[in-house]
Amino acid sequence: MTVSAIEFSRLGPPKLRPYAMRCANGHLNPWWEHHHCYQCGSDTLTEQELAGTGELTNFTVVYYPPRDFLGQEPYVVGHITMDEGVLMPAPVVGVAPEDVAIGTRVKATLRRMKLGHEGDIYYSQKFVVDEDAQAAPSS
Amino acid sequence: MGEIIRHGAYLPRPRAPLGEIQSFYGRPGRPRAKALCTPALDEDVLTMAYEAATRTLEGAPEPGALIAVSQSPPFGLRKLSATLARALGIDGVLPLDLGGHAGAGVDALQLAGAIAARDGAPALVVVADHVLSTDERVCDTLSAGGSAAFLVGDAGGYGRLGPSSRAGREVYDVWRLGTEPEPRYRLEVLFDAYATTTAQALVGLEQATERPSSGYAAVCASQPHPQTLRALGRAGVAPEQLEHTSFVGDIGNLGAASVGVALALGLDRAEPGQHLLALGYGAGEAIAQDIEVTGPVAAAATADQLAGEAIDLSTYYRWTRGRQAEPH
Amino acid sequence: MRVGVLGIGKTPHKIQHNKSLRDLAVESGREAMADAGIDPSDVQALYVGNVGSVGFNYENSTGLMVAHHLGVVPAGAVRVEAACGTGAWALHLGCVAIMSGLYDTVMVLGCEKMNDLATVEGTSIIAQAADSKEEYFSGLTFPSGVALTARKYMQTYGLTEEDLAHTSVKNHHYGARNPYAHLRFECTVEEVMRSATVADPLKLYEVCPMTDASSALVLCREEILRDQPDKPQVFVTATQMATGTWYAATDTLDDAHALIAAPAERAYAMAGISAGDVDVAEIYNSFAIQEPLGIEGLGFAAKGEGWKGAVDGSTWIDGAVGVNLSGGLLCKGHPLGATGSTQAVDVIEQLRGTAPEGMQRGGAEIGVSACRGGPGAVGALHVYQRLEGE
Repeated sequence: MTVSAIEFSRLGPPKLRPYAMRCANGHLNPWWEHHHCYQCGSDTLTEQELAGTGELTNFTVVYYPPRDFLGQEPYVVGHITMDEGVLMPAPVVGVAPEDVAIGTRVKATLRRMKLGHEGDIYYSQKFVVDEDAQAAPSS
Repeated sequence: MGEIIRHGAYLPRPRAPLGEIQSFYGRPGRPRAKALCTPALDEDVLTMAYEAATRTLEGAPEPGALIAVSQSPPFGLRKLSATLARALGIDGVLPLDLGGHAGAGVDALQLAGAIAARDGAPALVVVADHVLSTDERVCDTLSAGGSAAFLVGDAGGYGRLGPSSRAGREVYDVWRLGTEPEPRYRLEVLFDAYATTTAQALVGLEQATERPSSGYAAVCASQPHPQTLRALGRAGVAPEQLEHTSFVGDIGNLGAASVGVALALGLDRAEPGQHLLALGYGAGEAIAQDIEVTGPVAAAATADQLAGEAIDLSTYYRWTRGRQAEPH
Repeated sequence: MRVGVLGIGKTPHKIQHNKSLRDLAVESGREAMADAGIDPSDVQALYVGNVGSVGFNYENSTGLMVAHHLGVVPAGAVRVEAACGTGAWALHLGCVAIMSGLYDTVMVLGCEKMNDLATVEGTSIIAQAADSKEEYFSGLTFPSGVALTARKYMQTYGLTEEDLAHTSVKNHHYGARNPYAHLRFECTVEEVMRSATVADPLKLYEVCPMTDASSALVLCREEILRDQPDKPQVFVTATQMATGTWYAATDTLDDAHALIAAPAERAYAMAGISAGDVDVAEIYNSFAIQEPLGIEGLGFAAKGEGWKGAVDGSTWIDGAVGVNLSGGLLCKGHPLGATGSTQAVDVIEQLRGTAPEGMQRGGAEIGVSACRGGPGAVGALHVYQRLEGE
């Protein structure tokens, strides 16, 4: 059963850059909210590119992955609160699970998410530990 | 001519045990590399190119063109350069894809210099490759990949592109028929061409620059293959000139990215006044490029990425064969 | 509001490769009709809750399929879907149908057969059916979304994984006594802690199994049940529904609380009761953490204290309120479309006094079922009362 055409129409173009959806009243929503601002109900939302840095505010470690993530387990996936305030769910890669904690500063990078059934490739944003931010003393 | 304003490289972290892989396939002889630098499951040529380019562009002037060099773009219908430009957030640049052979990175540097001179804005060269083999053809170019990037401007850089020399020779059986995943070739014919074209290109460069091959602080070559090494030795290149730019024995062959990573390693250690020799070769062609180091180099610590993290044979097999048992 | 429960029926909850989805539906539907003492021709409308038959069983139009095989044709039938809250929604529609006065007798039936496909395929179907696919695309499986909630809960109230493990111990104690449950073994806190991690901090014994099951209820106008005093006088006295965010990213602990608390407040008012009057509660817990959250939402404990009842006994069979005396979804499994209707059947058995020994709470007269869907998308509250003739 091929699903790539379904996903292409639903997921839209690949997330080559980290972005959020900004409503007419200035609220930022996660990237999938195209129709309805979760905070005020506004129906006018446009893409706003994000700087790419944020803080890991919650995470879990997945041991039983879905098909597209088979082979990557155990992987860290969590909620990153971007510096602009919006929440982004994504994996954190390039680091062992025991080396991340709530509060770790992370930054977005490009990774391949999955291969569709018809050979199509989906890219999106995963996060890596922001080395520059770790080095800087916190204020 | 062009000058390198910035450079950078990205090597994926996993290191696969080539010795075990070869014995798994029953290949006799000593493995040519200690390990293979293999992209993780969520990485490919585009994401590696993105990493190298991001590092190179940090704090650098914005390019007006992007030249992507790869022999293994992951998709069939997209332009690697255009997609990479979108991923980097520099959508408006002139996107150019360059392929052809493992030394095309050197072609790209020259093209970048010409475009920078014409357009008045630097051009970014990104080389990225993921060399794969299939079950039917197990050769020593197993899964290894990496990337490097160079921002080339008309002036104001630290690596000035000087004269170059090219040599070419017809080689048998390197054609890939449309239905085949891998090119067919007769190894011994190809390797012989490595040696002869390298020798010719070096001779040509000596004539053009009046500098002997031994006069370069470092030789930054694709791979280099033992045949190429012999030709370099005969041309007067000493082991010290290859010491810091040869990585194939540690992490394997990175295809078109090899010459880029070698050049990045060379530039990281270069001092003003020295010259580097970039040697791109493969499939019957060789290009030798003189690069003059004109100022302090913005070093990229490429050598720090050589170490990586070991993965075991079973992990490597799962990743490259796409077979993964399901939990239940 | 008084909607009479004329009959109930359910199948065992387990992997049943030798029965089809329609076999299961017919089994529970016939049991409910026999219990009600009616014929198929007495059913005036059929509400079939089913979530994933297109994915799990490669068949659609489940409501029509069940109508045909149960023999309720030519009465109207429809398939109801609201993620994991489907069964509760079928019940809600059945109640609304009776309350509208348009129907005298209707049937509510939930059914799901999840094991026709391999587990990893089934997990993908669940992710489609009950969770946001955009987050799934980013590697957030359904369990990992709930794991994030568990971690938030632990962090906010300073709890350990052991504190939460007691919930599984209690559920397994009663699941072992439930002949209809999928998992029928007791366990200790140590065994819960040692079980394999699914998505940190959720462990295997804190996650429900995929099961095949069906359950059904025959509902009627109050007078019809009153006119049969020999039948147990159990009524549905409140039905309230709610939605919440469809994405785990925007689901806070307050949202998780409100998803149950808001309809619960309305339901208690509708039934004329308060939280302290409740004897038994079936609380949706496909993942263990949802039970403490539900206990708090139902007003049985303050925020951050819902986990204590499993430790100090106040949510066990003789405590202030018996929570999930059926073994919960942790032991019964979560047959997506049937869970909500099975919760109703289990509460009603408690109020009738017909639950198996070791599970039956003495003198239960008021019960509640709280169903949930998606990470935080559906909240459903029903109140049931045994009301002897007035």
